Amino acid sequence: MSSTSTEGLQLGTSPEYSRMHTIIRRVCYVLLFGLVIEGALTFPLLAIWYGVPTLTPAQVCDELQKVMYSDESRTCKSHGLDSPPLGGPAEAQGQDTARDTWRVQPTPLYPRIGFRELVKNKREREARERSAGNNADTEPSKKPAK
Amino acid sequence: MSTKHELATAAADAGPIGYDDHVEQSRQAQRHADKWMISGTILMGTAILGIFGLPLFLRGLFLQRKAQRAGLSVRPIIVTLIGYMVMLDGALNTFGWAVDLFASHTYVSRIFMPTWGNMFDGGYFWHYNELAVGGAGAPGEKAWEVLGIFIVFPMRIAACIGFLQMKRWGHQWMVVTCWTGLLMWMGYVANMTVYADIRFASVVFPVVGWWVYNIFYITPFLSTPYLHTDNREIFSD
Repeated sequence: MSSTSTEGLQLGTSPEYSRMHTIIRRVCYVLLFGLVIEGALTFPLLAIWYGVPTLTPAQVCDELQKVMYSDESRTCKSHGLDSPPLGGPAEAQGQDTARDTWRVQPTPLYPRIGFRELVKNKREREARERSAGNNADTEPSKKPAK
Repeated sequence: MSTKHELATAAADAGPIGYDDHVEQSRQAQRHADKWMISGTILMGTAILGIFGLPLFLRGLFLQRKAQRAGLSVRPIIVTLIGYMVMLDGALNTFGWAVDLFASHTYVSRIFMPTWGNMFDGGYFWHYNELAVGGAGAPGEKAWEVLGIFIVFPMRIAACIGFLQMKRWGHQWMVVTCWTGLLMWMGYVANMTVYADIRFASVVFPVVGWWVYNIFYITPFLSTPYLHTDNREIFSD
């Protein structure tokens, strides 16, 4: 717009910058809607991707720990006030199962978690545990037979 | 039932009025619109309840626009948008980072932070909570958190209050905090790039996912061109 009229301009906006201010205002609307939609969708997206409601949030946390440390015995625990930095041993102190390439720029080697893969991980682990348990159960029962 | 705003608008339509009446009616109309926008922004600041806050905010914005068209002296829409958006940016970032810095050993934090980190930013997943202070273990992340929580975001929120009140100091501090936003973005992205292996290896939505998630937080430096090209005389001492 080449007109230098201030008619219809917002207070504080001069004619030469009116186009730029209009663009900024419109982008602000986009960002506002973006922030709100993102804020509303983040929790449901995370929950669905990582296995809720098949898994409880606490179980998701457990499964993530197992991936993080490549250790199926890891669980998600909260600690009291005497935990770091106020006291007690550092988290995962002595845990050396996490797989990383250690160098000046470390590279984590845990696998990417696919859509609802934590549910699959849990089921497979439980199946393995059941099968190991069954084997353990059948072993003693065989003994008397011998 | 007539609201204060409607009364003020009706009075403005009624014909010539004195300066003091105009100022008072404008003040009331602005205050009424701000009540809606503040309520909306508080809800949007919680992220998850933002969907309920947005209609309240838009209602306030609509009331302010209506008052402006009725000839009342209310804040320009762009000032309102920038002020509330920058404040929302400061509030949302403070909330997330304060949880990571101070409450990283709580159960909620243990569930949410590494989950979010695994999806968008491995810095919040990789060896999470193993630092002495807990929280994100990515190199440099804690420094940005301290800078943001103690300096930049409080300054930003204070600047927004002055800016929305159309105070000159609010405008000046808005310029400062928006440039600080640019510094933080440049420094933060550079830090993430240097440690990209930690931040993005095996992440569900790496790099592009991070940008899609975070691009909506660019208001502070999107505002900078406005702050340098508006007429500062509308901001009073």
